[in-house]
Amino acid sequence: MIEDVILTTENCRYCLMCRHVCPVGRVTAKESLTPHGWGLIIASEKRGLVDWNDSTIEALYSCADCGTCRAHCVTDQPLPSAIAAARAEVARQDLAPAAAREIHAKLQTWSNPYQEQAPQASAGQAEVALFVGDDANFLAPETVTAVLRLLKALDIEPELIGVGRNNGYLASSLGFPETAADLAQTTLGELARSGASQMLVLTPGDFYAFGQMIDERLGVAWPAEVELKEVTVLLAEALADGKLSFERVQDHEPYAYVDPTHSVRVTTRYDAPRALLAALVGRPPKELYWRRERAHPAGNTALQYTQPHIAHHLVYSRLADAQDTGAQVLITEDPGTLVHLKRHAHRFGLRLQGLYPLLADHLAGG
Amino acid sequence: MKQVFPHEMIRSELEEVVGQHFVSIDESDRLVYSTDWSWMPQMWLDRGEPLPPPDYIVHPGSAEEIAAIMEIANKYGIPVIPWGGGSGTQGGALPIFGGIMLDLKRLDKIIEIDEKSLTVTAQAGIILTQLEWAVNERGLMLPHYPASANCATLGGCLAPRGTGTISTKYGKAEDLVLSMQVVLPTGEIIRTPPVPQHAAGPDFFRLFLGSEGTLGIITEATMQLDYLPEERLLRALLFEDLGNALEAGRRIMTRRLEPFVIRLYDPNSTRSRVKRILGYELEGAYMVMGFDGDPDIAALQERKAMEICRELNARDLGREPGERWWRQRYDFYYPPQNLKLPWMYGTTETITTYDKIEQLYRAVKQAVEESYADWDVSFIGHFSHWFHWGVMLYSRFIIEEPPEDAQEALRLHNRIWNTAMTAVLENGGMINEHHGVGLKLSRYMSRQYGDAWPLLLRLKGTIDPNGIMNPGKVGFGFE
Repeated sequence: MIEDVILTTENCRYCLMCRHVCPVGRVTAKESLTPHGWGLIIASEKRGLVDWNDSTIEALYSCADCGTCRAHCVTDQPLPSAIAAARAEVARQDLAPAAAREIHAKLQTWSNPYQEQAPQASAGQAEVALFVGDDANFLAPETVTAVLRLLKALDIEPELIGVGRNNGYLASSLGFPETAADLAQTTLGELARSGASQMLVLTPGDFYAFGQMIDERLGVAWPAEVELKEVTVLLAEALADGKLSFERVQDHEPYAYVDPTHSVRVTTRYDAPRALLAALVGRPPKELYWRRERAHPAGNTALQYTQPHIAHHLVYSRLADAQDTGAQVLITEDPGTLVHLKRHAHRFGLRLQGLYPLLADHLAGG
Repeated sequence: MKQVFPHEMIRSELEEVVGQHFVSIDESDRLVYSTDWSWMPQMWLDRGEPLPPPDYIVHPGSAEEIAAIMEIANKYGIPVIPWGGGSGTQGGALPIFGGIMLDLKRLDKIIEIDEKSLTVTAQAGIILTQLEWAVNERGLMLPHYPASANCATLGGCLAPRGTGTISTKYGKAEDLVLSMQVVLPTGEIIRTPPVPQHAAGPDFFRLFLGSEGTLGIITEATMQLDYLPEERLLRALLFEDLGNALEAGRRIMTRRLEPFVIRLYDPNSTRSRVKRILGYELEGAYMVMGFDGDPDIAALQERKAMEICRELNARDLGREPGERWWRQRYDFYYPPQNLKLPWMYGTTETITTYDKIEQLYRAVKQAVEESYADWDVSFIGHFSHWFHWGVMLYSRFIIEEPPEDAQEALRLHNRIWNTAMTAVLENGGMINEHHGVGLKLSRYMSRQYGDAWPLLLRLKGTIDPNGIMNPGKVGFGFE
């Protein structure tokens, strides 16, 4: 893996072609906190020009690991994975920031960063599994309830897996790939035991973690016989097929849809939530400037622990962008994105609404 | 060794102006801001050699803060180096004497989009693509499309008089600017007249265009916009003879057929770059030609241009190769398919009139290829910014196995540049067309301007009496 790091940063250290989309570069205005900056710092450490010290480690841990740079790279340079691997090298030298080590310890012990509570064991079997994860379980449990109602309307009763367990992304992003692999493999073990041929996920972050990250960064293979699908995509397909319908929300306030953190990593997902909302409200959502393939994260990455002030700026930036649309309500499905935006939305005169509860509350005939 | 006491005094004063959070002496920042996109510093770091870093990296949030920083810099006699996107190829943003690196990217606001006059007023630190996306949402475009649009800032396009892919029709960055706010080295904040075309005395505001931060800092600009074109017609042609291709371009331009792009690759570029990036294996001079705007007018212009090309024995390759080039025109700049280290390379772009351009091209090519044959140098070029009177040659030399020693490599690089620039000046060319002067071409400024150079030096001395602004660049700062 470390050889891959060198190769990627050799390409990225002097390339500025994704600077315009880097959210951290944008909110900090710092050259060192851009893909080119991180590439150059890592490459310079290899050349003995700098050491891993407080300054360089702080910079290394300032990348949001949101994937926007890679999404805009014509040659698909996996810089976020390279940065994660460089962090792993730093962590192996016991130089990771205290906040990273603290979260790592929680992940090792409790499989989540939120509560001292072990994940719920999954023992049942079903054709479809639903990965709940830690964000939905601890931050917005109403999301899971709503999704179960929506799935029931489609005659799907999934087996819940990974309830309260991180998908592995957080540990990987902080530089602890072994822990990340353990978390991912435990979930895959539950998935195998469930006998499901399809695993649904609630967010693009989960889709990315299982669909790409575990293989690319951790060497953990996704079971080829199992289909991975986002719930929004499943619902939008059902809506298009006439298998699902909603009671129209009357006189809904002006609203915008916020593409969740990691959306840029799943380029086929953008239309699904918008189609669901248009069907529900009767008009399409207002669009943020940083949307779809250039959607910025909302602070709910490892950055919230290692560089909380940058994570806050990402939240403010997202809310300011939404405010500029004239929307009064912001809707998104990702519990992490939702909670992070919600904390500060009042400052911008905005209200947050979860997509899944909104849809579930307006199921036709529900 | 720097004295700690005055260093901390300066740092404190800078923090009082912009806030502690926006002043950095951090090792990571000093490393990253020690190099821009030019080959020289990149090679230096690549070989494991440290570069002179800035002493302070400052992120001002307003023109007033910049004015206050100027006061500090003048008081202590320390350099101020403006930093936009750091995408310059000539070392224009290198802090070779240390000092204050002034990163302008916090100045990234769009102030006004005037949909009647078709103008946008924005702060100078906004990245071009971000500005372009914003005006696109209103069906407009800022018709300045440099390859560096994803990283270059608005001010960074104006300061070195940048050119873009579609400048043949829409003009260079300097042709698109109506007015600017500038902070002078002495701290005054001035505004140039609201429109450029008038007769109220000398056109002094153009002094700041091309000054590359040596005469002041552009903090805001009002730029001309255009409607997004209804149609973009693109087509590729192949000429057996480069001279015929140049003549075709000349006739198209002098008949004012208004192509938005004519990109003409010389046979070496056709053989190497066009093949590598676009996948076409061709011998000859590959030309992409485009017309845009009203569909009827664009179609007529294209038809007339094609008649000219046919008269000069061009082979029509059809639309797809032209459209593919348009779609992939920036792919040339993404690693690993770009020019990259450990290779040695340089872009000795130049411009002259149509009567001299072919001779100029052949002279530079011959001089570089013959002088550095031992290094197996390759010389490629394309002609891409066309005017009514002449055209730009974007020529590059490449050595795939340069010296490993950094100092030896730097000296060889400079020798090749000297060979190319000597050939340029002897054949009626300018030392550049749009990449700026920076550090790399500083030493040619007196030769370029001859008797006029002392006047420029006197102007510099008047505007920047303490010589604090970006010393060593644009020929200033060594006296």
